[in-house]
Amino acid sequence: MRRSLQRLAMVVLLLLAVSMLTFVAMNVLGDPLFNILGPIAGDTENPESIAKIEAAKAQYYLDKPLPERYVRWLGDFVQGDMGVRFASDGQPPVTGLIKERLPRSLVLMGMAQAMALLIAIPWGISSAAGSLGGVDTGPRSWRFLVPFALKATAVTYFAQSLFGSVVGVVMLSWFIALLLAHQFAETVPAARELVDGVNKTMSGFSSALSFGFISMPNFALAVSLYYVFALKQGWFPLRYDASDGFFTRMWQLFLPALTLALPGSAVYQRLLRTDLITTLQEDFILMARAKGVSKRRVLFRHALRPSMFSVITVFGINAGALVGGALVVETFFGIPGIGTAVVEAILREDFPVVLAIVMIVATGFVVLNFLVDLLYSVLDPRVRS
Amino acid sequence: MNNPDVLLDVSDYSVGFRTERGLAQVVDKVSFQIERGKTLGIVGESGSGKSVLNRSLMGLISSNRQIESGSAFFAGDQLVGRDRQDFWGKRIGMIFQDPMTSLNPVMRIGRQLFEPLKQHLSMNKEQASQRAIELLTQVGIPEPARRLRQYPHELSGGMRQRVMIAIALAGEPELLIADEPTTALDVTVQKYILDLLKDLQTEIGMSVILITHDLGVARGRTDEIMVMYGGRMMELAPSEELFSDMSHPYTEALFSAIPRVDQPKHTRLTPIAGAPPDPVEPPSGCRFSPRCVYAQQDCTINLPEADGPGDHKFACFYPVNTDDGRSARAANIENGQTATGLKIQTAGVS
Repeated sequence: MRRSLQRLAMVVLLLLAVSMLTFVAMNVLGDPLFNILGPIAGDTENPESIAKIEAAKAQYYLDKPLPERYVRWLGDFVQGDMGVRFASDGQPPVTGLIKERLPRSLVLMGMAQAMALLIAIPWGISSAAGSLGGVDTGPRSWRFLVPFALKATAVTYFAQSLFGSVVGVVMLSWFIALLLAHQFAETVPAARELVDGVNKTMSGFSSALSFGFISMPNFALAVSLYYVFALKQGWFPLRYDASDGFFTRMWQLFLPALTLALPGSAVYQRLLRTDLITTLQEDFILMARAKGVSKRRVLFRHALRPSMFSVITVFGINAGALVGGALVVETFFGIPGIGTAVVEAILREDFPVVLAIVMIVATGFVVLNFLVDLLYSVLDPRVRS
Repeated sequence: MNNPDVLLDVSDYSVGFRTERGLAQVVDKVSFQIERGKTLGIVGESGSGKSVLNRSLMGLISSNRQIESGSAFFAGDQLVGRDRQDFWGKRIGMIFQDPMTSLNPVMRIGRQLFEPLKQHLSMNKEQASQRAIELLTQVGIPEPARRLRQYPHELSGGMRQRVMIAIALAGEPELLIADEPTTALDVTVQKYILDLLKDLQTEIGMSVILITHDLGVARGRTDEIMVMYGGRMMELAPSEELFSDMSHPYTEALFSAIPRVDQPKHTRLTPIAGAPPDPVEPPSGCRFSPRCVYAQQDCTINLPEADGPGDHKFACFYPVNTDDGRSARAANIENGQTATGLKIQTAGVS
């Protein structure tokens, strides 16, 4: 508890430092007056211009010294008033803009992180399960048949719709052959070899896929997914429309979120896989096996939790990288979110907006990582004492 | 095999592993039987194959490099060559060497104990927790109800070993394999755990395989003892007979390597010179011949098979306490070395 409080104090200090640094940088690197008024800011001859300059200085407190402006801004900021925008003559105020844009981006990033975990955990477990050895499910049990049928249907469907029905038929007959091979794996050595070979190939395929997701730039992934699932298949809406109903909008965010999620899921999968393989060597896993716990339960109940540390650590760090990704994805899919807002603001040197967004992102990042820190002690009771 | 009292009947059982250097024969043609309610001690130094023998019998080794042959009948069911998962916890229980690492550190004792109860005995939550408390009481854990909510790191090593025993007993197995159950514990705790195992066994009537590297541990707590070396069975005898009528030089060597209370103070212990054999390239002839003070020329050529009068079997051409053995040893002492070139320090042996 005391440690948590200490950490919390550190968080506050850190955020203060970030705000100070950003505030000073924004005020020193440009001339705010120029950003507000445009060219007339430099016109000190014309009395009309001088009057405007004086008015603007008074309105935006530019006549006050920097420390005072910082304190004034900070005071307003913590009360929820983020000041006025320079570019649009203060209308609407920054707070209004953030209120409109932030929820979308939060939902997008939240969805992305949730999807990344939802994809990474089963993926990581299945790619590490081989090191536990032994077959848990015979070819006739539904635990084998259901995922197998799903896989076969999905692959056949894609092959058919992307490459034509001939390829679809080939895929389908391949899966039927594979099913037969599973059926006879116990008795026919050739069938056993085929199944082993396919499993080996699949594990190679799985790591190729994860490296692909990690190395693929966000925009390229966005284009591919958009082309296949929105344009070609027509499963997802083509555009985001802020005036649609809640559930429609959530559905419109699915593909953008998936774009953000896939690289993250690949990173989490690799970390989880490595940690799981280490955990599966532990004595307590052998003990769990020996007391008759099923392979599935060993993986999910015994091995998963002690193997989550790297994943949650990177989960917290990845939240920061996600903001950068959101910028690209929001622009590509036409979602007016915080990523697009910050790009617009930077281009127009609208520094109150930039400042507000930097502060929000920093706060979110730091708070999330604080929670991750608390999560360690939830995952491992030994950390608590 | 036709005897209904025999629970486990193992014959010519071998376990090998394919390695890059070739086949490692870790267990080589071992045969033994265990009757219901009886205890078999398996004794041997590290690397003798005793742990692999048991894990492999149980089907717990999940390596596609493993090669298993021979036969092992458990209550009439052939174990070799089949998936043994339905035996785990339910018919064969197992406890491991290190209680510090064998319990899941992030799971409460209760849940670890409920798992086999729910799975093998189809108990609901309340029945399971009631039975769990009984089990913990049975293995001598104070305040059992409170322990259920604790994590392993909150218990001492001895307590954890008791919990592990409780977990292994939860599924009411017919056979309990205890793989060096006390090696990682303090000597003071060791005795309690061993006595507890003995008591529980008589109470429940299950069979036990007690694996240990310490002959002293097996003495008095087992009905039969099998001595293993280099993956082979060296000697198998009813416990008391093994100690009163030791036949294999390796058994004798093991016995002189442990301190005994009946010896005079400051008696020098006799270490066994050399190291265990390489399973990929074992010595020709008797596996123990390079380290054996009795070794003669034919020991390095022919592999002795375990045989002997009645239920006392041993794999040796020059058994201890026979005229052959005595003269073989005397000849070696006289030469100052054995047929395999092992130097004999006369002072240490005589």
